Amino acid sequence: MAQTRRFELAMSPHVGANQTTRKIMFDVVIALLPALAAATWFFGPRALLIVFLSAATAVVAEFLCLKFMKRPVSFALDGSAIVTGMLLAYNLPSGVPIWLPVIGTAFAIVVGKQAFGGLGHNIVNPALLGRAFLMASFPILMTAGWAAPEAWNSSEDISWGTSGIAMEEMSTIPMADAISGATPLNVLKQTFDLDASAANARNEGNTTEAQSLEERADGIRSALSCNSTYMNLLIGRSGGCLGETSVILLLVGAIYLVMRGVLELRLPVSYLGTVAVLAWVFGGSGWFNGDPLFHVLAGGVILGGIFMVSDMVTTPVTPKGRIIFGIGAGLLTMVIRRWGGYPEGCSYSILLMNLVTPLIDKLTLPRVFGEVKKNG
Amino acid sequence: MIKARSFKGGIHPPGNKDLSSKQPIRRLPAPETVWIPLCQHMGVPSKPSVSKGDKVKRGEEIGTQNGFISLPTHSPVNGTVKSIESFPMPHRRTGPCVVIETESEDGGQVFEKWDDYSSHSPAEITERIKLAGICGMGGASFPTYVKLSPPPDKNIDTLIINGIECEPYLTADHRLMLENPDDVILGMEILAYTLGVEKCLIGIEINKPDAIELMDKKGVSVLPLKVSYPQGAEKQLIDAATGREVPAGGLPLDVGVVVQNVGTAAAVAKAVRDGEPSLRRIITVTGRGVFSPANYDACVGTLFSDLIGKSGGYTEDVKRLISGGPMMGMSLYTDGVPVTKGTSGLLALTDDEVRDVVEGPCIRCGKCVDVCPLRLTPNLIALAAENERWKLAEGFGALNCMACGTCSYVCPAGRYLVHYIKKAQDAIRANKGKEA
Repeated sequence: MAQTRRFELAMSPHVGANQTTRKIMFDVVIALLPALAAATWFFGPRALLIVFLSAATAVVAEFLCLKFMKRPVSFALDGSAIVTGMLLAYNLPSGVPIWLPVIGTAFAIVVGKQAFGGLGHNIVNPALLGRAFLMASFPILMTAGWAAPEAWNSSEDISWGTSGIAMEEMSTIPMADAISGATPLNVLKQTFDLDASAANARNEGNTTEAQSLEERADGIRSALSCNSTYMNLLIGRSGGCLGETSVILLLVGAIYLVMRGVLELRLPVSYLGTVAVLAWVFGGSGWFNGDPLFHVLAGGVILGGIFMVSDMVTTPVTPKGRIIFGIGAGLLTMVIRRWGGYPEGCSYSILLMNLVTPLIDKLTLPRVFGEVKKNG
Repeated sequence: MIKARSFKGGIHPPGNKDLSSKQPIRRLPAPETVWIPLCQHMGVPSKPSVSKGDKVKRGEEIGTQNGFISLPTHSPVNGTVKSIESFPMPHRRTGPCVVIETESEDGGQVFEKWDDYSSHSPAEITERIKLAGICGMGGASFPTYVKLSPPPDKNIDTLIINGIECEPYLTADHRLMLENPDDVILGMEILAYTLGVEKCLIGIEINKPDAIELMDKKGVSVLPLKVSYPQGAEKQLIDAATGREVPAGGLPLDVGVVVQNVGTAAAVAKAVRDGEPSLRRIITVTGRGVFSPANYDACVGTLFSDLIGKSGGYTEDVKRLISGGPMMGMSLYTDGVPVTKGTSGLLALTDDEVRDVVEGPCIRCGKCVDVCPLRLTPNLIALAAENERWKLAEGFGALNCMACGTCSYVCPAGRYLVHYIKKAQDAIRANKGKEA
């Protein structure tokens, strides 16, 4: 007869993949480390301090929220808070006061994530929401700290272009006053202002001034679109936020994530592809003469494309939906860069797309096996 | 060899088949007592036709068919009926069993043999298969004769024999194809003749090259398939073999296909040639929780505890006992459960083998959507079910789910997706019943 042994009862399936939420989150942390090394190298130990403060704040804020809501506090260590903290820090310039990341991260976790129900329930990317909050509250601090990287200052070559035009021209542009060190995208944005001034001058009949302004704008643009600029952007020798400088090291992180099966390529590829195509279409002075390589390498597009466009919680789950999300975010990024009030549009484009994610999911549900697509 | 085909989606869980795939099938004599469930098939249980104290012969009918989707039940031994009582079943509920004290397994009922099946009409063969009590032996246990009686407006042109065995661990079908290919092939021919189809093939995953080679050598048209779970699911197999999509809520008949498991084919061969009813089946007893994994040819009604005993007993760290495979099998609270016609495997899994994750919130990674062979959105259905929004769950296609478990397998948050979806299915069906 039967033995009186006790067996555990459970729902099928009884076996499962060796993947957990915690492992995914810590894989993302690992993938972010090369860029952190670059940030520390280029901007000095202060970069490390900012990232650490931000990550620590995230964990503490998450812990307190969970405690307050009487939920298991162990979730605070599932890695997702650390990722949010790190990503927010990566979106800050190195020169910010150290209380800024603390406030920003606390906002990101408390308002951006836990207020919506915690992991998996937040509507927008908490790190980007934190950044938007800081941009709105402390605009000067958020841009004034854009010091050019230390390692770069110490070197002889202080220009992006071989000719040195970019930096020289910068000082002649009025808007540059508020900025102690400019990002390549700032410079590009200002060429569009020069174009506008030239057009004005031409309308007023001042052709010579118009011509000189146009020449200056073109000169800067050609300086931005040269090999040494690309190289600096790839390595990270350019002004910008902590985490966005070194494209190569961000890509190293991306390769790691793909190998670990964490990064789903539809999102980053459709996003970066859209940015590149639209950069060519309208990223330059006129139509179809933009520089896709510059637009992809400069600013936060690579950081955003790898780590934020592909944030699982706030992006669609359907295969088609992911591609639509990437294209939409790419379109918004380029529109903001070209015509918007900011030189960089990456973070706002993703935030806006986050809001329509549920709608995208609803409209792109796959056709169920064996079901005939309904008409209309 | 032609390129291995497959379907879209699916996963590749570790096979763990080498635990038992080299073990030849061992024929076990009937135990001293057998517990014969009256409902080993999907549908209505058969009505007991014996009572306490009756002498029964091997092969004698002890339960009669009770409705269209139902089958008769037979005694696998000569012996005396001790009682008819409720007993734990492999599907974890209890069901009525005829308990028989075994005297012997020899002789018994004498059956008329058919030397040439083709001298009989398809209708006669279908009747013989019904009277033999044969049901699908791959797991769902659907009465085979029903599948062989398609409505006249359905034009069946393809028969697929399912030798996929995509569930990890299980090797019963594999061993059967290697050790008794002639019965499988005869059964296949009989089924094709009965259905009147020309096109007839056997689907085998390429992780069983020896079986593919053997069947190929014997002149059977083999369809090699990529190793991917759930390749053996009827709809996925038909998709891979013919490119036809069984309509949602429909049957293989709707696309002109009938699928039968290799074990069913072998049982059909025995029933039609020898007249012998479905009395035994091949079952894999495996997992790291038993000392010697093996494949047995066991009597229906043999208790799982007997099989475990034959396999050297449990190891110290056994944790879960599962009837069927690890993906869709049922975990059992006791091993005092009889083998039925549909029991393909018995797994004793240890702590290291079972997945044990604490369920967390869905992080919307979309892996379940990527792997679902039916292209559902399991995470959204589960979320709707958790909040008891049944209409929403139905809108996401919850009723199409076959509970293959692929989504739960990949879920990093350890969500009980299959559980939620089944819950939604039950609620949706219950609500429909109320409305009707």
